[in-house]
Amino acid sequence: METSKLTKWIREYGWRHLVGVFFVVFSMYPILYVITNSFADFANLQNSKLIPDALTLKHYRSLYEDSLVPYFRWLFNTYKIASIAGLFNVLLGTLAGYAFARLKFRGRRVGLITLVLIQMFPAFLAFVAIYLLFFQISDVAPFMGLGTHFGLICVYLGGSIGFNSWLIKGFMDTIPTSLDEAAKVDGANDSQIFFRIVAPLARPIIVVLFVITFIGIYSDYILAAVFLKDPNLYTVALGINVVFMDDFSNEWGSIAAASVIAATPIAVLFLFFQKQITGGLTAGSIKG
Amino acid sequence: MKISTIIRYVLLGIFNALMFYIVPLAISYESWFLLLIVGIITFLINITYLTNRLKPLKWITPGFIFLLAFVVFPAGFNFYVSFTNWQTGHILTKTQVIERLEDLTFSTEEQRGVEFDLYVMQDSDLDYYFLADLDENNLLFGKAITSDEFNTINYANHEPSFKDSNNNIVIPESLYLLSGKEQIANSSQLQELSLLVDKNTRINLYNISVFGASSGRIFSSQQKYSYDSDTDILYDNTQNVACTLGDRGNFICGGESVDPGWRITVGSENYQRIIDDERFRGPLSTVATWTFQFAFFSVLLAFFVGLFLAVTLNNEKVRFQKVYRSIYIIPYAIPGFISILVFRGLLNPDFGLINDWLDPIYQLLNIEPIRWFRTEASSKAAVLLVNTWLGFPYMFLIVTGALQSIPTELIEASKVDGATPRQSFWRITFPLLLVSISPLLIGAFAYNFNNFTLIFLLTGGGPPLVGADVSVGYTDILISFTYNLAVSGGRGVQFGLAAAVTTIIFFLVLIISAISFRYSKRLERIYGNI
Repeated sequence: METSKLTKWIREYGWRHLVGVFFVVFSMYPILYVITNSFADFANLQNSKLIPDALTLKHYRSLYEDSLVPYFRWLFNTYKIASIAGLFNVLLGTLAGYAFARLKFRGRRVGLITLVLIQMFPAFLAFVAIYLLFFQISDVAPFMGLGTHFGLICVYLGGSIGFNSWLIKGFMDTIPTSLDEAAKVDGANDSQIFFRIVAPLARPIIVVLFVITFIGIYSDYILAAVFLKDPNLYTVALGINVVFMDDFSNEWGSIAAASVIAATPIAVLFLFFQKQITGGLTAGSIKG
Repeated sequence: MKISTIIRYVLLGIFNALMFYIVPLAISYESWFLLLIVGIITFLINITYLTNRLKPLKWITPGFIFLLAFVVFPAGFNFYVSFTNWQTGHILTKTQVIERLEDLTFSTEEQRGVEFDLYVMQDSDLDYYFLADLDENNLLFGKAITSDEFNTINYANHEPSFKDSNNNIVIPESLYLLSGKEQIANSSQLQELSLLVDKNTRINLYNISVFGASSGRIFSSQQKYSYDSDTDILYDNTQNVACTLGDRGNFICGGESVDPGWRITVGSENYQRIIDDERFRGPLSTVATWTFQFAFFSVLLAFFVGLFLAVTLNNEKVRFQKVYRSIYIIPYAIPGFISILVFRGLLNPDFGLINDWLDPIYQLLNIEPIRWFRTEASSKAAVLLVNTWLGFPYMFLIVTGALQSIPTELIEASKVDGATPRQSFWRITFPLLLVSISPLLIGAFAYNFNNFTLIFLLTGGGPPLVGADVSVGYTDILISFTYNLAVSGGRGVQFGLAAAVTTIIFFLVLIISAISFRYSKRLERIYGNI
């Protein structure tokens, strides 16, 4: 009796756990590997293994001490660029989203559709033109030309503003208009309604879109590679991949430590907002 | 006037001042496209904030400007570039080329054979000075400089004080006159030095003499090319010929085209090259085929792994579902460029752990270990493996979500009608699933179609495709191929050609999106009313 129950359980559910555990190993192995390697005392990739023989902090220390590799500068640059661009992105997106959600004007529908159509094409696709455009801007306005963070931020700003406006508009549509009408009766104008009522209520989507935009910019490679030439101005994605690649095997410890430092905050941020991010993505895409 | 109005006008004033500062600069650099975009933005900003009629624009304009300037405009500009020969050797505009050419000089030995006494001196800093005794009125003295320093104005002066009444040379105490032997000892250094007389004339040490004074000669350099803007003719002063205009954006002097040339529009030449040029078309079609395969199989693999997992675990009686789910999301949470880097380590053919694990299998089957990234098949497999790892969590999440939103009554009704679980899955659950997630699948396809980061960071497009005219590899997708054309590549940068390929990618993305739109509409019609 007992054994047949067990076989039944195995046939019904056991294999499910087998599959489940297999994919746990599949997903976690590379992550555990890089984490243990960042603390492991070994010379190079050849001697690396999942469970290290001895632990050390030397890889982290070398990131801090090696003056040829300005790792923490890259990290700072990336946080700076991603947060400024992300912030302005949601700010301008919220303004536009408000107009599309609340104001009645001719061309509203056309404008909305145009916004979505434009954003179907990834912004980096025209990187040749972006490069040549900023090459010319370098002559005219060097402070935002090629190789500057300012110029890169401008490009990132254009990259997802349409998408964000669209999603913010969708969220604002769910905020009852009776609220603004009541405020209007009390004599509030558009900007008061925006700042006091609609924008605060739209905060959840604004925060999520900021996080999504931030992570997107943090992980971008191609535009940063087209734009930035001075190693001191690199983003972390560019820095790790350009500077460490020459001696991949011997730098493995530093690469692992650099990866852990670069990935942890983003992973935590993502997991914290996971429900909203995936929810927002699916909702937005299905609508689009 | 309200304070907000004043602030608005001040900001508008600052903005306009900045724009008007840019206009003459843009004109001087002939950046017509820049001028266009500056003009449109300035117009838009002013019309928005100066008139009160266009209220909604006040909210939309700030964001729209960035979209216009850095997304819409580059797309149009890219289209324009695809019709030019903008590439190494044709980067500048015609005006800039003429400026460059007019700066070039060539040297002639004037007054050949005419030599004069030249004295070499040194000051306490060991800097050299030349004194050239040309004639009564030209006793020229000055610091001797190398050609790097020619642009620093340091012309020689006539200094009669260096001679006494008996026409003997007198050296001031601050300077030391080098003897012939000392000059020979330093001759390699001295040969590099010149005394500048004026912009185009210099004096060099010609012959060092141990007895008596060394001799110097005058060299004068002339402008190599001169340009007559009225007739649009360039003259080559070395050959004394008028140059003709070539049809590729070059001057042609005596049968030879002059470098650098300037960029011109060349019509559909870049597109023609994509179609006609065998050495280019071959690699491009390889790349295009792989791009579609890569995007398709990436989505397919990730989707089926995600689907399989979701269906396996989506059962009320399976415990630890939450634990599984939170673990599967983790690969999705790591920035892609990090995961790719880790896989490069794991898959490393010489030291990587994956080959260590597979070693027993290699032994068992008695085969050579896989040389990851070195062969076409292993590189493609690696790309798909890594992309499955990166992509399955997303698919798992959306499939789980979609499964839970399918009404259970449908499945139960089919059970009552005698359907096996397998039948009800493939006939009911799966089609319904496709309806809700097919737009996401096509979105994922479009995303992978341009997944530059994965390809560029994992394989760099390699291994290289042998025999190709351009730098390209077996795992290159269209966007990474374009990047190589524009940025590196063995033959200099080819912006025009890269822009043409990009334009083609634009159209492909457009087609994919259009299909996505129609397909999801059709599916909705078929299954939407169940």
